[in-house]
Amino acid sequence: MENSLLVGLSRQMVLERQLDVVANNVANMNTTGFKADNAMFEEYLMPVARENRFQPADRVVDFVNDRGTWRDTRAGAIQHTGNPLDVAINGDGYITVQTANGPRYTRNGSLQINAQGQLVTTDGSLVLGDSGPIVFQTTDHNIAITPDGRITVVEAGATNTESVRGQIRIVTFASPQLLQKEGNNNYSAPAGVAPVPDTSSTLIQGSIEKSNVNGVVEVSRLIEISRAYAQIAQMLQNESDLHKNAISQLATVPS
Amino acid sequence: MRALNTAATGMMAQELNVQVIANNIANMRTTGYKRQRAEFQDMLYEHVRRIGVQTSTQGNILPVGVDLGSGVKTVGTPRIITQGTLTQTGGPLDLAIQGDGYFKIQRPDGTFAYTRDGSFQMDAQGRIVTAQGNLVMPGVTIPPNSSALTINSQGQVSVIPQGSTTPTTLGQLTITSFLNEAGLLPVGDNLFTETPASGPPQDGLAATNGLGSLQQGNLENSNVEPVTEISDLISAQRAYEMNSKVISAADQMLQTVTGLFR
Repeated sequence: MENSLLVGLSRQMVLERQLDVVANNVANMNTTGFKADNAMFEEYLMPVARENRFQPADRVVDFVNDRGTWRDTRAGAIQHTGNPLDVAINGDGYITVQTANGPRYTRNGSLQINAQGQLVTTDGSLVLGDSGPIVFQTTDHNIAITPDGRITVVEAGATNTESVRGQIRIVTFASPQLLQKEGNNNYSAPAGVAPVPDTSSTLIQGSIEKSNVNGVVEVSRLIEISRAYAQIAQMLQNESDLHKNAISQLATVPS
Repeated sequence: MRALNTAATGMMAQELNVQVIANNIANMRTTGYKRQRAEFQDMLYEHVRRIGVQTSTQGNILPVGVDLGSGVKTVGTPRIITQGTLTQTGGPLDLAIQGDGYFKIQRPDGTFAYTRDGSFQMDAQGRIVTAQGNLVMPGVTIPPNSSALTINSQGQVSVIPQGSTTPTTLGQLTITSFLNEAGLLPVGDNLFTETPASGPPQDGLAATNGLGSLQQGNLENSNVEPVTEISDLISAQRAYEMNSKVISAADQMLQTVTGLFR
């Protein structure tokens, strides 16, 4: 009897979670290298709850359950910044960075140099090259990043000869959906998911990859969520009215 | 409702973004100004269902999990160090640096600051100073009534003193470079000071060791491009609006819940 209330409730709770996902996407509309999340639902068959009002009777009741959030891994728009240390990844690859918790992967190519001359991301994590962190001399200038990630500079005193400072380690994953978002634009790879060197992705120097959140889609999703939520609320209201009427009318003792 | 807070972080971030853009546009005609960009990162995620947990004894694992993000944060406003275009002014003490490097300026308290703004003046003692009257290092004094003030591409200042016909070299301006120019701290008046992030200052001479060369009679414009700023402004404003829509949607949903009580 109470099943419809609970089914409605399961839907509402899932909608709230979906709103959280949309809110996070919209909040990160201008976050470099951000990938939008989408919620995914499944029906959950409740083995013990049965509904007898239908024909044939004794049907299993379906609840809604959120099974997961999947990431839209499509590339974001490339914005030209002109900054020599900005790189956008053209392809499915990730830049490997070193954090306190081990290696992490990022699509945020807004790079900096720290006081020790090391190449770092905006939150200070070291960018890993093929042989460890990439370190610059204090007198290096004319930093160039080739499409395959090689970083060359012109050393002090030299005019036209380029010296290589390292090669940014670009990696890819067989199933990128298994990567977990960690905040700070970083992804962590769970156990068993190993990065493989990516030779097909290229780096574009002087550009950054914008967030791939599509404002129009997110707003239409937002409308859908709030309308669905109101609809369920209305349904719950009707169901509650039904109970109320049943109680008030059936319980009237005829005099 | 988590969505309310998440959208609020988004609105705050866009507000800051607009503030940065406003400062860029306000400094569009500031000599030697370098534009800034607001840089954002996503915040922590709540892993409601973790990816990769084992769902059966046969070793099946969850291919996707439920990750709920909690919004956006600003990590920095890095400065975009690119060369600004040069404008010819003809002023003998207007200097532009073509390439890397900063002029070294001594502030009244004796500390040093660095600038790309080369619109220098002469003070009552004939010293080369900035528009605020701060000494340009290493301090070159121009004798009175001298003519033909020349500053060459390496920063050598020479004049023809009164009563003479041959030029005399008075001194050479130093140029300072930093490994991470984006790490310099802006202190206003077009000046920057060194920070641990910028690395120590490397004093040198113009047009040597990769440092830029000086162009007398020119000033470096800001590197702000109006088109970029306006398109950034539009996208920031739209993002702000969309975040406010999320807040009103969450609000409506809460209202729906409140409406259930009678």
